[in-house]
Amino acid sequence: MARRLRIRVDYDRCAGSSICVLTAPGVFRLNENGQSAVIDPTAESEEKVLEAAEGCPTMAIIVEDADTGERLFPPPGALE
Amino acid sequence: MLVQEDLLTPEVLRDPYTYFGHIRENDPVHWNPRWGGWLVTRYDDVARAFRDPETFSSDRMASLVTELTEADREKLWLLINYFSKWMVFTDPPYHTRVRMLVNKAFTPVSVEKLRPRARQIIDELLSQVEPRGHMEFIRDFAFHLPVIVISEYLGVPVEDREQVKEWSDETSRVFFIRADEPDRRERSQEGLQRLLEYFEPMVHERRKHPRDDLITALVQAEERGDLLSDEEVLATCTVLLFAGHETTTNLLANGLVAFMEHRDQWELLQRQPNLIKPAVEELLRYDGPVKATFRWAKREAELGGKTIKEGDRMLLVLAAANRDPRKFDNPDELDIARTPNPHVAFGHGIHVCLGAPLARLEAQEAFLALSQRFPQIRLAVAPEELQYHPTIVARALKELPVEW
Repeated sequence: MARRLRIRVDYDRCAGSSICVLTAPGVFRLNENGQSAVIDPTAESEEKVLEAAEGCPTMAIIVEDADTGERLFPPPGALE
Repeated sequence: MLVQEDLLTPEVLRDPYTYFGHIRENDPVHWNPRWGGWLVTRYDDVARAFRDPETFSSDRMASLVTELTEADREKLWLLINYFSKWMVFTDPPYHTRVRMLVNKAFTPVSVEKLRPRARQIIDELLSQVEPRGHMEFIRDFAFHLPVIVISEYLGVPVEDREQVKEWSDETSRVFFIRADEPDRRERSQEGLQRLLEYFEPMVHERRKHPRDDLITALVQAEERGDLLSDEEVLATCTVLLFAGHETTTNLLANGLVAFMEHRDQWELLQRQPNLIKPAVEELLRYDGPVKATFRWAKREAELGGKTIKEGDRMLLVLAAANRDPRKFDNPDELDIARTPNPHVAFGHGIHVCLGAPLARLEAQEAFLALSQRFPQIRLAVAPEELQYHPTIVARALKELPVEW
């Protein structure tokens, strides 16, 4: 069974490029501020979710394993 | 409101913040009869326009084409054809398709890999000037760094770099509305032609023999079976070159001036180099490389209490939005520890700068190195002697003499 993901959006970083919405449309949508919001972390494969996070031009999407807390994206050190 | 409407006077060029700030506080969406368009100056209005590409179009070619005579249109067909493929001048759905593909080749993680090389280039450039005790910061440093980085990233061999840079500068003439260049469109097309002739064989070559460079990544970028055409790869090469040059140069130069005028912040960075990331964000906000960006209304809309008519053009004034006191505390102060810092120096929404991670990386490494190796650096002229190029869009110094 696929692992459960915890997906967060850093609103200080998100610039509303919509790349994530286009890459994984079931998972993300734009909210009323034009920023990304997670609507359903299970709507797409882990691969698509990670592709959306990697494609984010402002690195605003953080993906973790919901059970272990392991960070899957961004790589260590990238946000500091 | 009575206001001086010339956007290119020496006073406005030297200090756009006072000028546009006055407009922001008195008539935030202001019709400028001289330029023939709206100035949008408040943060929230600028952000709203950025977020609504359905209403506020980026299709510059559509408007340019209507301004040209039939003869000019024929003469400038190449320019029109390619610029109409530049992401920055297009709307969805074309923009969405190309941006998604190019985005795959240009992610923050792939850009991060350039950091060690950027550090090395910075080190070499600074070592060349160090014994002299002075430099013209733009010509000797800020000019070279972005050119070397983007050229190497694209896959342009070292011996061709200068030539490619020259063609790219010619190409970009058309965008920086300079009062002093009547033949800029022709020169722009000439430069573009040379660039296309240069890149075309490279694109074919990379399709056959992939390498570890950006052109290869562009020809290989794929989304659900869709690929970029040769023409689209070529257009993208030229836009990345152009966008990767002058803007980063100006970020570095404007940033250094900001530090020189706020010595306490310069010293703070020396003591706390871990502030470099928020520091660069603050430089982008405080005196970023782009003063304003254009939009065209595709339908009637209301913005800041004014009715924008279909076809009206607008300047989204980043320089005013980034100093809006409704959004930022003490907006006219340089505070390198400022967080959060939701500036719009890279735009916002679907057109948000693709190259932002690269510009950030270059500026972070440049100011870290400068603050460590040249802590005593200072302006070699009085601040009021600094001169800016007469353009509406770019915040671009002509020269920046410094010494240490």
